[in-house]
Amino acid sequence: MKQFIDQILQSPNVAALPIMTHPGIEALGKTVRDAVTDGNVQYQAIQYLSDNFNTTACTSIMDLTVEAEAFGSKINLPENEVPSVLERLVSDVDSVEALVVPTLDKGRIPQYLLANKLAAENIKDKPVFSGCIGPYSLAGRLYDMSEIMVAIYIDPETMLSLLSKCTELLVNYCKALKATGTAGVIIAEPAAGLLSNDDCMVYSTAFVKQIVDAVQDDGFTVILHNCGNTGQCTDAMVASGARALHFGNAIDMEGVLKQCPSDVVVMGNLNPVGVFKQGSVESVKLETRSLLQKMAGYKNFVISSGCDLPPHVPEVNIRAFLETVEAYNS
Amino acid sequence: MNQELLEKLSECVEFGKINLASPYPPQMKGMPGADEITKEALEAGVTPGEILNEALISAMNKVGQKFSENKIFVPQMLLSAKAMSASMIHLKPFFANGSVKRKGIFIIGTVFGDLHDIGKNLFSMMVEGAGWEVIDLGIDVKIEKFVEAVQQNPNAVVGISALLTTTMVHMKPVIEAIKSAVPETKVIVGGAPLSAEFAASIGADGYGKNPQEGILWLDKISA
Ligand code: B12
Repeated sequence: MKQFIDQILQSPNVAALPIMTHPGIEALGKTVRDAVTDGNVQYQAIQYLSDNFNTTACTSIMDLTVEAEAFGSKINLPENEVPSVLERLVSDVDSVEALVVPTLDKGRIPQYLLANKLAAENIKDKPVFSGCIGPYSLAGRLYDMSEIMVAIYIDPETMLSLLSKCTELLVNYCKALKATGTAGVIIAEPAAGLLSNDDCMVYSTAFVKQIVDAVQDDGFTVILHNCGNTGQCTDAMVASGARALHFGNAIDMEGVLKQCPSDVVVMGNLNPVGVFKQGSVESVKLETRSLLQKMAGYKNFVISSGCDLPPHVPEVNIRAFLETVEAYNS
Repeated sequence: MNQELLEKLSECVEFGKINLASPYPPQMKGMPGADEITKEALEAGVTPGEILNEALISAMNKVGQKFSENKIFVPQMLLSAKAMSASMIHLKPFFANGSVKRKGIFIIGTVFGDLHDIGKNLFSMMVEGAGWEVIDLGIDVKIEKFVEAVQQNPNAVVGISALLTTTMVHMKPVIEAIKSAVPETKVIVGGAPLSAEFAASIGADGYGKNPQEGILWLDKISA
């Protein structure tokens, strides 16, 4: 939302927006499986984090299987790890052609819509961001990630048609997420980060842009997350039109900020595992401070984790991160 | 003539021209690819050994080099690997009947808990192109599966891949189990979060930051 974007751009303070739900799930004594299958539990986790941590915004679970499951993929739902797709769903022109774009009552989509609705209704003091997978990453989950990398060259038409189907679902899904009242959506497109800038434009950006055009407005911001980008496809990310871009820890943030227009919000990129999960309070403080100092002067910078915080991040580390940002801001 | 075929084949692999049907790369559209040229070369009397050593291995070396210099990306590299595999299919009978020797057997898998396989697939295709027989155990490979594979192939070298900081720690028990089953087995590890120090600390014999390094190590131990 422009409101959100404008607030960030105008505020003298650096906003802190870690992508997290697992710490909330754990604090409630629930399992990952509970949270990814029950919208109420997911909402409670988001509410817990909102109540207990002074972040700029809340996020829902980065679950990269919901949309593939809606298409019909078989999913593994371990009790305490993020779900995963078990096998490819489509493998040639015929199966891609036969693929039906699912309606929003399929799989766990209704539970995700419920979680977003409850969070948007009940969390009044900060924006709530929904989440979904990006079109290229979704197509890769359906077609096999290694195979799609090759198929965009040897059978581009079929892949473009698969991407169109993926995008059709994502546009519908994002519209429904928007209707729940959230402030925007984080589109996770990690697999596009393995492409050259030109390929990223054709096989990711062009489709992400369709989602942006369909849902982004002053009240609803698209945050495009790509933790696969190591620096080669930043221009393609900018070209999506998303008002905010979110980067992983494999990239040099200073280089990114130099490359991105100053009215695009740029978020990143403390290592979710190396810093948040495995670091000590001291090392979290050190890394946070050092990133803040490097980014000083960039008004469009938001400090964040490079990806979704995984299960079992110590709460003290999240506090250390937020306290360091607060201390820096005052 | 034969030299020309080897050069053409090498070019197909370097630029990822798999077969006649593949439209990639655009400048080679409608032309025969690695598949057809290998067949033609064998018919013309080029030996499988020449194909492997003078076309495939050198082409994959160039590809690996370009990848490590960020001149090409994952798709281009996978296309080259596919082209190489399309050629390799025609060499399989010669490997099977022993008329061409491979450097050895290489068993590879992504460690249990981890589902990332693009890097592993790339490396295993490169290793195959470097003249090894590859047994790919897939992703999320449990300790027992690695052990079973080395017991069935006691002279094999093992490669393990991990992309998550949370799963790279699973490599140590895998290595211990492999070495207690077949003590002389050599193990190489790789994947983005690893380092040479980490590899040494978990008892791995080798570490490859990229496929190039891994293959150099394999060549060294098989020499
Ligand atoms: C693509 C991708 C995915 C795809 C995987 C698809 C697939 N089939 O592989 C999907 C979307 C499914 C995915 C899922 C997840 N991912 Co992921 N993913 C990536 C991404 C963007 C690229 C990885 C990749 O393929 N790189 C390209 C290949 C070519 O590189 P490579 O694997 O490093 O391999 C090279 C070398 O390392 C070496 N090599 C590799 N293996 C071996 C083995 C040997 C023996 C040798 C010698 C060499 C070698 O050779 C290769 C060529 O140079 C990275 C980000 C990044 N920039 O790395 C995140 C990343 C690895 N993922 C991450 C995470 C957290 C996850 C999830 C937990 C996310 C979630 N919330 O669901 C899940 C985990 C699922 C699981 N249990 O495994 C984190 C890991 C953080 C950490 N340090 O632990 C990363 C780093 C993103 C980030 N910045 O946070 N992911």
